[in-house]
Amino acid sequence: MLLCGSPALAEKEPLDHKIPPGYVPEEARDEQGLWMEFEEMERTLNKSALLVRDADINNYITEIVCRVAAAYCNDFRVYVIRNPGFNASMTATGMMQIWTGLIIRANSTDEIAAVVGHEIAHYTRLHSLQRLRDMKKKLAAGSVFDLAVILATGYSTPLGQMTAMMSVLSFSREQETEADLLGTRILAEASYNPHASYKVWQRIIAEEEAAAVKRRKPSAFSQTHPATQQRASYLESLVVSTYGEDDAESVADEKLLAILNNHYLFLMEDQLDTNRFGRTKELLERHREIGVEPSLVYYFYGEMFRQRNEEGDMQLAMDSYLHSIEAGAPPPDAFKSLGYLHLKSGDNTAAQIQFRKYLEIDPTADDRAMIEFYLEE
Amino acid sequence: MNKRILFLATTFFMLGGCVTGYTLVEPGQHSIDTMTVNASSGWNLAPGYAAPGTRKNAQVWTQDGLLLDRLVFVPAVPDGEPILLSNAKDAALPVFHKSMLPNEIEELVESTIVKFFGEGQAAVSTSKLRPHRFGDHRGVMFDISAEVTESPTYNGIVGAFIANDELYIMWYFGAEPYYYDKHLADAEAIISSATLAALN
Repeated sequence: MLLCGSPALAEKEPLDHKIPPGYVPEEARDEQGLWMEFEEMERTLNKSALLVRDADINNYITEIVCRVAAAYCNDFRVYVIRNPGFNASMTATGMMQIWTGLIIRANSTDEIAAVVGHEIAHYTRLHSLQRLRDMKKKLAAGSVFDLAVILATGYSTPLGQMTAMMSVLSFSREQETEADLLGTRILAEASYNPHASYKVWQRIIAEEEAAAVKRRKPSAFSQTHPATQQRASYLESLVVSTYGEDDAESVADEKLLAILNNHYLFLMEDQLDTNRFGRTKELLERHREIGVEPSLVYYFYGEMFRQRNEEGDMQLAMDSYLHSIEAGAPPPDAFKSLGYLHLKSGDNTAAQIQFRKYLEIDPTADDRAMIEFYLEE
Repeated sequence: MNKRILFLATTFFMLGGCVTGYTLVEPGQHSIDTMTVNASSGWNLAPGYAAPGTRKNAQVWTQDGLLLDRLVFVPAVPDGEPILLSNAKDAALPVFHKSMLPNEIEELVESTIVKFFGEGQAAVSTSKLRPHRFGDHRGVMFDISAEVTESPTYNGIVGAFIANDELYIMWYFGAEPYYYDKHLADAEAIISSATLAALN
């Protein structure tokens, strides 16, 4: 709706959906083949141990998808995957994957919706099919080139096919831009804040800057996409010129906060297991700002500092665990971790106090034997 | 022509290296670097190329094949080094510190196993951390589980101790269902029996 009222965007952005809701390929055999491949992939995905089956999380994400998809809602099956990386994907058949890493990186439901809108645009613009056809054409041309090289020189080289693959990647970036533009439009039409479409990329940039170990390759989601900085900039220009400056009041996003608070332990433990402390710290800063339960956030600050183990980190970890406990709703492990820190610093009495508290709160703790060993020492 | 001969010779020698396959591990006492373990049944020692990422002095044993079960021994990991190795500069492998307490060893293994399966490809959890004596050395044992994308779930147990500021660590993984249970008792007995050879 907002889009239709915007002459600026109407001029710059003539993109629309290519297929109607409920689309099923009937004639093109290559498209039917593509669907069969994706359907097989979906059967495998359904059995994945990393599929998040929690109803809260699935309902939350599905609600976002349906709101953005509008008339296309029934075309999609949404799969939330337990993976702390930043990614989402969509197949030609409507199989949408959302990684839990997206949930912990979003500052608002609007930002998740922005990524969802982008993926839906890939679907309605038939990008998978376009890529398949483009790749087939270019690989065929590349093979002819390679054959010519063999005949001329006697050497076999996959140069032609490699060039074809590179150009497919390049073409894909054009598709990504299309998906950005259409995705932003349907995001706004669903009454989500369109400014989320570039903010989500600004956060990825901030995380990369905060990373102690930079990735040599960009994340799975970013590697076929326009450069992150470039994308954040053009999306911001587009959104500001179309919808005006972001004047939305900063209010707590209760739905996102409920998901994070209720599932924070497993979501952030997966992130912590990546051993990427700069990134984890950046995420914790954001969670503190948006109002995730302080006891949980400070507990993970403690875990992050303790595991990072740089100079001064032990004290920072200890302070963080104390903050977590003072905030009133710490996980039992906050007492245990604090106990281990005291043990490390040689204060066995303080360690035993914390260990006892841990077992009082969690008498059936599965590491009770280890804790009792230290209590008996 | 000379280039072709060189190529064939190189290939021959490379393939020659590959034919060193699995070797039988007889029941009995075995030394792995400075560590000794007792095996009550026979296992198969995997060649290095079948278990990439393992340290030079490490060994990987299996009964039914590495995708179904594996018993890994990593002796003498020095302070500041990772349990597994990677050529990727951005792998962010967790490293061992000689001051690590049991909970930190548990976290080190959890994060290492995540990296082993591929970051984001597995959700790894540990439980039942418990004390265990490895000869003269105080150590720990704990259970581990890895839910892996497009793969069976692996359950296992880990044993570890620190001696001379170095980490000695062993773990057993078996695929669910069936294979984990099939070799658990054997593997646990072997891990439990580990001692530092030089001190026993």
